Amino acid sequence: MAAAALRAALRPPSRLLGARPTQTRDAHQRASLLSFWGLVPMRAEPLQKKKKVDPKKDQAAKERLKKRIRRLEKASQELVPIEDFITPVKFLNKARQRPPMELPFEENERRALLLKKWALYKQCEHEMERGAIASLLEAQQEALQELKLTAPELHAEATKRDPSLFPFERQGPDYTPPIANYQPPEGRYHDITKVYTQMEFKR
Amino acid sequence: MAGAVRLTVLGVARGWRQFEGPWTHSLGSRSLALAAAPSSSASPWRLLGALCLQRPPLVSKLLTPLQEEMEALLQQIEIERSLYSDHELRALDEAQKLAKKKSDLYGEEEDEQNILLLQDLEDMWEQKFLQFKPGARITEADVKNDRTSLHRKLDRNLILLVREKLGDQDVWMLPQAEWQPGETLRRTAERTLATLSENNMEAKFLGNAPCGHYKFKFPQAMRKESSLGAKIFFFKALLLTGDFLEAGKKGHHVWVSKEELGDYLKPKYLAQVRRFLLDL
Repeated sequence: MAAAALRAALRPPSRLLGARPTQTRDAHQRASLLSFWGLVPMRAEPLQKKKKVDPKKDQAAKERLKKRIRRLEKASQELVPIEDFITPVKFLNKARQRPPMELPFEENERRALLLKKWALYKQCEHEMERGAIASLLEAQQEALQELKLTAPELHAEATKRDPSLFPFERQGPDYTPPIANYQPPEGRYHDITKVYTQMEFKR
Repeated sequence: MAGAVRLTVLGVARGWRQFEGPWTHSLGSRSLALAAAPSSSASPWRLLGALCLQRPPLVSKLLTPLQEEMEALLQQIEIERSLYSDHELRALDEAQKLAKKKSDLYGEEEDEQNILLLQDLEDMWEQKFLQFKPGARITEADVKNDRTSLHRKLDRNLILLVREKLGDQDVWMLPQAEWQPGETLRRTAERTLATLSENNMEAKFLGNAPCGHYKFKFPQAMRKESSLGAKIFFFKALLLTGDFLEAGKKGHHVWVSKEELGDYLKPKYLAQVRRFLLDL
């Protein structure tokens, strides 16, 4: 009944025609048909019973919240932990440490020589890669130069950035090629990685 | 031969021997696109956009002996510097228990607890691994040396070459098409791909700029004021999916690695092409 009365109140109070349909609908619920203005609470206020206790309670709650917020702001912000830098406790167990091994002299020598050979090999490989990249770039620059001489507007278009090129994603080569019509084993995949979100506190 | 007839109409002599460059027969009668090029004044060079389509490797290369030695050494060092894992701890415990059981003769109650020894677990895992058959690194196309197949030399980059007729000569080259006014050269290369594969292939083009070029002059008989020679600009693309349709495979194309390019391409063309191909 109150809801219907409020609805009537929200509609523009056309005293003659608009009011009638609402009155006739609620007629069975009201005592007299004439008490329209008395029925519609145009300026509704909460009931006046608990006036003295409520504001105090509300204020106390608000104060507590504010105090908590102030304490949180004073404390330094908690950052998302980097799981790689935290050693799990089970790895501090002494039983897990291997007994220290003394390597024989020949083994040490072999390792040292192998590392030297490897360093040389990697240096050669790096030089080769650098040479290949330089040759690639040179060929491209020459091509662009030719294009500039032949058709400047095509050169301008060729030197524009290609927005669809990056981000460039490609799956690298594996050890064996993919099997045709492979049926993976049945099962569900439960991802239990912990995801943290950083909470920002403004000072 | 329709091609020869059309070329004689253009007044071409038979001297194709010195002619090392490709000549597209599809749009031969169209003059150089001077109409749409507002700036260049009667540039005598024809422009062609070519496509360097590469199939990236599916499989990693075999390690050299030095690399294998180094890999073994690094594994060893990693194990030496690590802590015992759960698996290893369990192995040590079980070894201790077994030794204790052998030494004391009365300790029979502990038999039923550890039925599943670590060794059994490892054997089970080994069996399961042996049941799995991975894909073959050396495919049958390798064995047959079927160069039109995409499934050979899975550890190398393969490049597409096509064969086209120039008069009375068959010339192998990278697929190309003549540049049409109103499109960029990269669009020309994309168009080449579409026409060649009948829209069956998808490729990722690596940028707007060409990676290399090759220019040549036509033989004397062929030259006119408007077309002195041609310049081909190569564009690199990586093959994502798709292949030639079975019906279209008539021996006009070949997927070839960098070493095998020499079997197909002419020397000067080859020299220019090799510059922008990585050796892997």
